[in-house]
Amino acid sequence: MKASITFDRLRWEEKALKDAASSAGLDMSLVDVKEMSFLVSATRPELGAIVLQRCISHYRSLMTTLAIEGSGTPVINRLAVAETCSNKLAASIALSKAQVPTPRTIVAMSSDAVERAADELGFPLVLKPFSGSWGRMVSVVKDKGMLQSLVEYKEELGNPLEHMYYLQELVKRPPRDIRAIVAGEELVACVHRYAPDGEWRTNVARGGTSKAFKPDSELKELVHKASKAVGGGVLGVDAMESPEGYMVHEVNNTVEFKGAQSAVEVDISERIVRYVAETARR
Amino acid sequence: MNADCAECGADIAVPQDAIVGEIVSCRDCSSEYEVAEISAGSVLLKPAEAAGEDWGE
Repeated sequence: MKASITFDRLRWEEKALKDAASSAGLDMSLVDVKEMSFLVSATRPELGAIVLQRCISHYRSLMTTLAIEGSGTPVINRLAVAETCSNKLAASIALSKAQVPTPRTIVAMSSDAVERAADELGFPLVLKPFSGSWGRMVSVVKDKGMLQSLVEYKEELGNPLEHMYYLQELVKRPPRDIRAIVAGEELVACVHRYAPDGEWRTNVARGGTSKAFKPDSELKELVHKASKAVGGGVLGVDAMESPEGYMVHEVNNTVEFKGAQSAVEVDISERIVRYVAETARR
Repeated sequence: MNADCAECGADIAVPQDAIVGEIVSCRDCSSEYEVAEISAGSVLLKPAEAAGEDWGE
């Protein structure tokens, strides 16, 4: 069986996936999508039976997935999953509909509505962009004055998406969160991510460190439910330990796992590649 | 394999097992390059894309 791993920046993960495929005797090529163009309606047999999408650019990932799926080749993750995960509002709705505990969230459609929304949610709160990763532009807003300043800055930005506001309750959690890596039905790895000194965000991209732990049955069930809620595939489910129990705050579509791999024994790449091959054979 | 940094002229040592698409950095000025081509023990670099606002996981 032939398959492809599409990328636009070759990270540690894509090389590890390629190595895992080679070790498993699977013919998976690394394909740089920056070199690709797509004739609409043409098939792409050279990509093989299935494509594992690994682009670092969100928009390039969405467009490439759309083009490849449109050509008749299945992609992991499916476009619908990528769209849900890459839009925080869509992800919140999907989690909420599936009754996955998730932080209380309000979206305000203009700067006029944002203060009322914040009052409804209560301070301190978390302000996040609708689309974004690595904790970029995620802020803890302590009070109304701070909110006004942030809104003023965002209103000056050219992107209209920045002129709508996604607000979330600040969950009282320990100085760590949970990253669960899922491949289909399998919970491949679970780590706690600890924020570095002087930082509240736990993202590995911001210096967060990972430590393995054994998930209990409640967490396993929740991760499974969250993964299913967004459509399934190869995912990074992020959860928190709140006083009321686990809460899922995000599901990542192109999960990075270098940090998690440094903490666990299981070969994450091997499990992902195996899932890709099994999906292609179905 | 070696290449010159287009920014500062320093020598960039590219690992022997590097593959096309891999990112290498200049130790002197931190400029990032993407391996564009490897042939007969020589390597061709091109400037790597700058991190985009939409980059992530």
